[in-house]
Amino acid sequence: MVEFSPEVIDTVIRASALLGAGFAMIAGIGPGIGQGYAAGKAVESVARDPEARGNIITTMLLGQAVAESTGIYSLVIAIVLIFTI
Amino acid sequence: MKNIDDPQKLQKEILKITYLISLLPIISSLLFGEYDITLGFVFGLVIATLLLRLKYNNIIRALSMEEDSAEKFIRNRYFIEYALYFVVLFSAAKNANLNFLAAAVGLFMIKFVVILMSIVDLLKDTFQRKFDEYK
Repeated sequence: MVEFSPEVIDTVIRASALLGAGFAMIAGIGPGIGQGYAAGKAVESVARDPEARGNIITTMLLGQAVAESTGIYSLVIAIVLIFTI
Repeated sequence: MKNIDDPQKLQKEILKITYLISLLPIISSLLFGEYDITLGFVFGLVIATLLLRLKYNNIIRALSMEEDSAEKFIRNRYFIEYALYFVVLFSAAKNANLNFLAAAVGLFMIKFVVILMSIVDLLKDTFQRKFDEYK
């Protein structure tokens, strides 16, 4: 059986953690695309029914605030992987 | 929450509940002498409040644009906010006086409160419907 030195094992673990952090950051792209799409549809809705502007802003604010949490989860995971391993 | 059509009032309501709930971890960490947790939590909470305000301003600006440019504008602003979140979490991770997890929870508090308020509304609706059916 092949045995690796502790330095090699540490390097592999560190490299894997950094690779994982990079992959985790991919999750940050999705909410941006989704929020942009929602904003475009909100503009369309306000143009169609200007009286519902307040309601649309409220719904959009809440939706966007919650939608970006998944992106921040991935950011937290990435930072934990970078700084603790 | 669902009856609030005025976004300003909604923001005030959300922030009020968020600060009330946040008092619990702040006071308990102070009582146990974990000052890095208090500082981290307050740091995250303050940044989350400011970013909510920024998001509202961005939405107001986006609604006066064309559909395509609003889409691009909000997408670009999201990535700027994401960079700000990164700076906050990075400084919390690097600074020994700030607890990283507390800062992360502070950043998430507003989102947790929004979800909590939605769940409360849903439960209220469900119980009201059951009550009406029973009557």
